[in-house]
Amino acid sequence: MAVSVVMPALEMAQETGKLVSWKKKEGEKVAKGEMLLEVETDKAVVEIEAQAAGILGGVTAKIGDVVPVGQTIAWLLQPDEKPPATTAPTQTGRTLDNRPAAAATAAATAAPEAASSGPIRVSPKARRLAKELGVDVSRLRGSGPDGEIVAEDIQAAAKAGSATAPGPSAPADARTAPPVSTGLGESLTSIGRLMAERTTQSWTSVPHFFVTRDVDGSALVALREKLGPSIEKSRGVKLTYTDLLTAIVARVLKQHPRMNASWAGKGIKANPEVRMGLAMAVNDGVVVAVINKADAGDLADIAVQRRDLTERARTGKLTPADISGATFTISNLGMYHVDQFTAIIVPPQAGILAVGAMTDRVVPMPGALIPIGVRPMLTLTLSGDHRVLDGARGAAFLHDVVEGIQSAEKHFG
Amino acid sequence: MLDTQSAPALRDLTFGEAIREAIAEEMRRDKTIVLMGEDVAEAGTTFKVLTGLVDEFGKDRIIDTPISEAGFTGIGVGAAMTGMRPIVDIMFGDFLTLIMDQLVNQAAKIHYMSGGKWKVPLVVRATMGATRRSAAQHSQSLHAWPSHIPGLKVVVPSTPYDAKGLMKSAIRDDNPVVFFEDKISYTKVKGQVPSEEYTIPLGVGDVKREGRDITFIGTSSMVQVALGAATMLEEVGISAEVVDPRTTWPLDEKTLIESVKKTSRCIVMDEGYGRYGVGAEFAALVAEGAFYNLDAPVTRLCAMHVPIPFSPSLEDVTVPTERQAFDLAMKLCGR
Repeated sequence: MAVSVVMPALEMAQETGKLVSWKKKEGEKVAKGEMLLEVETDKAVVEIEAQAAGILGGVTAKIGDVVPVGQTIAWLLQPDEKPPATTAPTQTGRTLDNRPAAAATAAATAAPEAASSGPIRVSPKARRLAKELGVDVSRLRGSGPDGEIVAEDIQAAAKAGSATAPGPSAPADARTAPPVSTGLGESLTSIGRLMAERTTQSWTSVPHFFVTRDVDGSALVALREKLGPSIEKSRGVKLTYTDLLTAIVARVLKQHPRMNASWAGKGIKANPEVRMGLAMAVNDGVVVAVINKADAGDLADIAVQRRDLTERARTGKLTPADISGATFTISNLGMYHVDQFTAIIVPPQAGILAVGAMTDRVVPMPGALIPIGVRPMLTLTLSGDHRVLDGARGAAFLHDVVEGIQSAEKHFG
Repeated sequence: MLDTQSAPALRDLTFGEAIREAIAEEMRRDKTIVLMGEDVAEAGTTFKVLTGLVDEFGKDRIIDTPISEAGFTGIGVGAAMTGMRPIVDIMFGDFLTLIMDQLVNQAAKIHYMSGGKWKVPLVVRATMGATRRSAAQHSQSLHAWPSHIPGLKVVVPSTPYDAKGLMKSAIRDDNPVVFFEDKISYTKVKGQVPSEEYTIPLGVGDVKREGRDITFIGTSSMVQVALGAATMLEEVGISAEVVDPRTTWPLDEKTLIESVKKTSRCIVMDEGYGRYGVGAEFAALVAEGAFYNLDAPVTRLCAMHVPIPFSPSLEDVTVPTERQAFDLAMKLCGR
């Protein structure tokens, strides 16, 4: 029996996925569990396995197409079997209670990613109105609690004439539903689009404030010279200042639970674990990758994780798990010779530390024989969410980061 | 005593003052009305609701009784059968348990069993409501109990205006009426009451606030809570209607159902227990009457199903709050 291949929903709020590549050609034999396609979501590129054995056929999505999740994009067929003529109407995360045809049943059983536990829920009022107004509820997406279809949805559909034409949010027929177009000649990648949305949301809704400190980075230089060679020898990875700062900041975050907290809509939510995020440039923007257990202070482990994430960010192979759940972020533009900058907070985190380049600067050295000197200085700028933090808390945190940098050899040497 | 002669047309009275005024006016009007209970005379009840009545009407009509609820309620039933209009005061509604036989097997049955030859024009006043730090035996809201019995009428007013008008109707009614007064409302709820004579018929509900998106059906103490939640909801663009049935029996079914038909959603709020309670009755009624107009499940918000704790911090979480009502309404509205 033909088994459908659907655009999977890999994240909670994912609405569309972009087809990056087919790993098999149309007509080629596929074993269950073999890699079948690559999908780019809002956050990452993910490889998808075949859910069943068969011959790839009836492919409707081309490379680069942006397709609503749950939509059938191909079939896995038995020899001599033709792709079913019609596909079942599918909706994000829901199955239907009034499937019309036998072929549709196959589609349903083969769509584990998109299938959910129950049938569509329609309120008694909506059900009555649908009957009165001639609206097909199977073509609607509900706006009520848990996606329930309520009276307003029916009235809106009746107004829009959706009894005959499905609404844009719920394409009912996989063959006729066009891929989502951004209206640009070349569609913006998901990461670029997401970055635009998230930074706008953060900048316009999170009340940012900024606290800046200069710090003498001599201890970082010394520590890197001391530990770098042995780590490179044993683990094959170069220790960077970012690695050192990640360990130092993670250690300080444990003493500043408020800085590690989140704004939760109505109040402040404490995050029991410190999860350090590192801002990483990718082709079309920036993602925040998570270094696990940075607060354990194992510099070699941090360096290995950082190198691995950087490499996967560069090739677009980060998984959703790699880039979710950070509680604080470091953004380092030192390698671009930036002296100082301010960063936009990544909600729901409460803070982000913008790190500038370490450069030799002339600094006063009161008490020394010659009271000026040249030191490797760097400038740290903390962006804080003023719903969770205030200037004094931000300053106290930054003070401890500065102390942590100056005494880095004591803790990590 | 309030001087009702020189007062302006509308006065601000507390819930307790409105009840006292109703009883005083009725006792002046009808000499067959007597009031009895524990500490009702010089003490004017524990809650000071009846302060001053003994001075005006004397100890023959405002009668202090021993601590014997079943006994003096029985006297009330007998007096009612023989031509008086007694008001029996049960200080804490929790002790309705002690008068259940007099109420359920005697007062409620006599008119029927005598083939209409006897009437029992009795009013039993009882209190309800928690958050007064009175512990498990003095904090319950047991209005569901008499509401369950054919032959009894039950009043659960929420405002001074309603309390006065309904008390007068209860006293004038030829059937036994149980009148529940929320202890917290006695002093905390104030409202305008006309000085002119008026009554409110038993069995007529009142829309306390009009709205489009969701109906709160609230009784007694929960009407104020529902109104508070409605104000919060207004700020987020949800228009909530608050309907107060005012009596659990006779029940104004039409007003309840019509409101829910209009708004499509309903939260029932009652300070009694939810299980097998007044809230359950209202919920069933609107589910039957407005089913094809419902956009969300009819949902109850009632007292937690526990003996009411003495500890203030624990007691407070057993009673529905504005916040809970707000959150539940948001959920039912898909927000």
